[in-house]
Amino acid sequence: MKNDRQRTFLMITIPILALFICFNTIPLIRGVIYSFTNFKGFGSYSWVGIRNYIDLFSDGRVGKSYLFTFKLAIVSTIVVNVLSLVLALALNSKIRAKSFFRGAYFLPNILGALVVGYIFNYFFTYILPAVAGMMGMNSTSILSDPKSAWIGIVVVCAWQAIAMNTIIYISGLQTVPEDVYEAGGLDGATGWKQFRYLTFPLIIPFFSINMVLCVKNFLMVFDQIMALTKGGPAQSTESISYLIYNNGMSGGQFGFQSANAVVFFILIVCVSVAQMKFSSSKEEQL
Amino acid sequence: MTENKKFKASVYGPMVFLILGLSTIIFPLYMTVMIAFKQPSEMTNSISGILSLPKTWSLQNFREAMIVTDFWRSLGNSLLITAVTVALSLALHSLMGYALGRNKAHSKFYSFVYLFIVSGMFVPFAILMMPLAKQTAELHLANWAGVILLYVVFYMPMNILLYSGYLVNIPIALEEAARVDGASTWTTYWKIIFPIMKPMHATVAVLTALAVWNDVMTPLVIMAGSGKNTLPLAQLNFQSQFGTNYNLAFASYLLSLIPILIFYVICQKQILNGVVNGAVK
Amino acid sequence: MQYKPEAANYFQLVEDEFNATHDDIHLTISSPNDAMTILRTRFIREDYPDIIGIGGDINYSYFVDADILADVSDYPGMQNIKPAYIAIDEALELVPKEGTYAVPYVANAAGVLYNRDMFEEHGWKIPENWEELNTLCNTIQSEGVLPFYFGFKDTWTCLAPWNAMAVDLTPADTTKQVNRGQTTFTAEYRELSERYLSLLQYGPNDPFAYNYNDACTAFARGESAMYPIGSYAVPQILSVNPDLNVDSFVMPASDDKSGNTLNSGIDLQFCVTASCENKEAAYEVLDFLLADENLQKYIDAQNAVPCKEGDFVLAPMLDGMAEYIAAGNMTDYQDHYYPAEMAVDAQLQTFLLNQDVDAFLAKFDTDWQRYNRDIIRMVQDYEKEHGAQ
Repeated sequence: MKNDRQRTFLMITIPILALFICFNTIPLIRGVIYSFTNFKGFGSYSWVGIRNYIDLFSDGRVGKSYLFTFKLAIVSTIVVNVLSLVLALALNSKIRAKSFFRGAYFLPNILGALVVGYIFNYFFTYILPAVAGMMGMNSTSILSDPKSAWIGIVVVCAWQAIAMNTIIYISGLQTVPEDVYEAGGLDGATGWKQFRYLTFPLIIPFFSINMVLCVKNFLMVFDQIMALTKGGPAQSTESISYLIYNNGMSGGQFGFQSANAVVFFILIVCVSVAQMKFSSSKEEQL
Repeated sequence: MTENKKFKASVYGPMVFLILGLSTIIFPLYMTVMIAFKQPSEMTNSISGILSLPKTWSLQNFREAMIVTDFWRSLGNSLLITAVTVALSLALHSLMGYALGRNKAHSKFYSFVYLFIVSGMFVPFAILMMPLAKQTAELHLANWAGVILLYVVFYMPMNILLYSGYLVNIPIALEEAARVDGASTWTTYWKIIFPIMKPMHATVAVLTALAVWNDVMTPLVIMAGSGKNTLPLAQLNFQSQFGTNYNLAFASYLLSLIPILIFYVICQKQILNGVVNGAVK
Repeated sequence: MQYKPEAANYFQLVEDEFNATHDDIHLTISSPNDAMTILRTRFIREDYPDIIGIGGDINYSYFVDADILADVSDYPGMQNIKPAYIAIDEALELVPKEGTYAVPYVANAAGVLYNRDMFEEHGWKIPENWEELNTLCNTIQSEGVLPFYFGFKDTWTCLAPWNAMAVDLTPADTTKQVNRGQTTFTAEYRELSERYLSLLQYGPNDPFAYNYNDACTAFARGESAMYPIGSYAVPQILSVNPDLNVDSFVMPASDDKSGNTLNSGIDLQFCVTASCENKEAAYEVLDFLLADENLQKYIDAQNAVPCKEGDFVLAPMLDGMAEYIAAGNMTDYQDHYYPAEMAVDAQLQTFLLNQDVDAFLAKFDTDWQRYNRDIIRMVQDYEKEHGAQ
């Protein structure tokens, strides 16, 4: 019986794993190989050893993009998780027109990058300064100032990402049985207390999923940058993915940016594995 | 009395919050719809200009956008790719999520495979692009089948993360009961576990469908030159190096938003059905 | 395969007509979006199109260097192409290479677009040197009109005035001289940088808040008298305001009119790939594309400047530049020599924000050495072999 179970698991795992290796791991290895060349993306190339990696650590622009990306990712992750958890709780409560609200809050996620870019550019360039001006505040666009442009990116990232994280939290809330609340209600747990001691511990797996997805989406942020600032002003919002794509694919730095991608990949895996280890230890505590 | 008041506060609080939050969505949506109906000559840089209603309400932009994108054919391609990807994802990823989720706690091998696959989520697409373009061409997969295959691989890490996370809350006792009745693991999975994960299937379906529906890069790189377009690819027609027709583009984006929104609303009902609640008791 | 999606309609027409008249050759033209990405992925798959239509920029230089393109110097139609453009293509080769690798088709021109009606109404004259330009801007400003609009939020627009002024103020082969180690950008670009910076005062308050589209809309709505950008922006401007009377003039960055030259580069040229099996057929296609009536159709549709000798009717918004075009007084964009990954556009934006000429030029020089390392080595090896020029 036990053997049958293990055999079934293996028969599921092996083919799917093979598929994954074939279309993810093998191309990745090929990419890693390019990172030791001066390949432009076409034509001939020669081996340059670890020159790309040495350059990487002495490149101010790359360093700046790492700082920017991590700042953006940390702030956005916090903002998005707090807001989407609140939103999920609200959408899960006994309200009218539930489907309507859920549908509406899903919309930001489906609007194409071109639309989002145009609307938010308009908002930051014309509407927000006008509103600020009316209230007697500084009325320049936050996207035109290298010091504040990243805030604009956070706003748009959060606006789009909240939908997805909320869905995951909602499906998490479905796994919390009603009787937990009933039992808790008898003990006098309501509001914050109920959430902190009853609901939240039960949805921790979903919290960790959301954290990992947030870190992934925001560390790899690309679309929002393209739509809003294209790395400007004064190269203050160049994310790592933006550099990798723009200089590697559109520019002639394919080999160098492959090296950047490799380093970035290793870094992001370390961050996420640490995160998952941390949250699974939390899960076990409960 | 007090009981009643409390009940009301717990209903109206979220309601007020939701309505306030809604304005951050209604406003951009309003702008999108207005622009989709306007002509390029009605575009201005003033606030009153952007908020004003179009001079005439005509579906001309939508009609033209449908012609430019060859709407029905592109829509067909997009629907085909999305539907097949979602179906394959639900079947394969849930199985894999199950195999890994049930074993990763006590087996080094499964725990490694789990981390290995989930790490795949963090591979920057740009580094895979060139090798994949080459590889798919060598395997004669530079077509929609290749695109689907790649999607199934790309979204595997996220979906496995979701499924195995969900499994944590499904008691193993359920399976053991079935096993005692003599059912094999394979049957148990399809008869008991798969149906129980319905809310998660709906979530995975929505997330995967959405990612596939909006994706430009994969079909651009893999299907280039095959003469077939997906909707997002066709929508690139509105942008050229030195000019963008926002009005047509917005109309087109509104059109392509409808199918995925309908799909979401249908799935949303499934997420809510809360099968687990009943089953766990 | 050609790289300009905006001209897709034109090429569809060409394809249909060609196939209707030629039984033995079947022509399929694709005008994909994001063509450079597609071209590169097709190259890596070794799935080369027979003919590619690309711009005369650094990508062309790379393709020539990578031996992707075939020598077309035996193409008979080549003798009708204006020598100035063939020279531009030759200059784009990283190191001189035997043969010709592209047939220039059309060019674009960048200078200053101006609102013709507004100029007539106020009696403003087109400036012919740097001093006149400044005087004109002051006059316009004193009459309560904004002289220039800028859309510097999109970094690439920072390059438009820069290129247009650079041709007047620096040698056309500045970058090559630097690669040979004969000069530095700090020496060559100082005056250019300072003059560029001084234009900012004639633009909107916060030019970094507006993107290309904002600037086009603003200019179309008469919010400024001039807009320093290429002729390629005209269709977008006219889409917002079809009645606008637009003309253009050559950027007068030089102190004397004789020092001015029109900033014009090859916008579209056709190359035959080395793997093309039937060169004769490819030439037949080129003949068809270069036929006067077909070229004229392209020019009409895209406001372009032909690279072929002959009497073509130019778009009215090129009136102010006609003199230079007729005389062949044209110089290629400097940015066609800049590697994309160096992001000169973003560096210019940074410079315009910080307004620090020294820092900008110093960074330009160090970055140039870094990003062009392999090219510089190639050039120096070539010099060793063939002797300095």
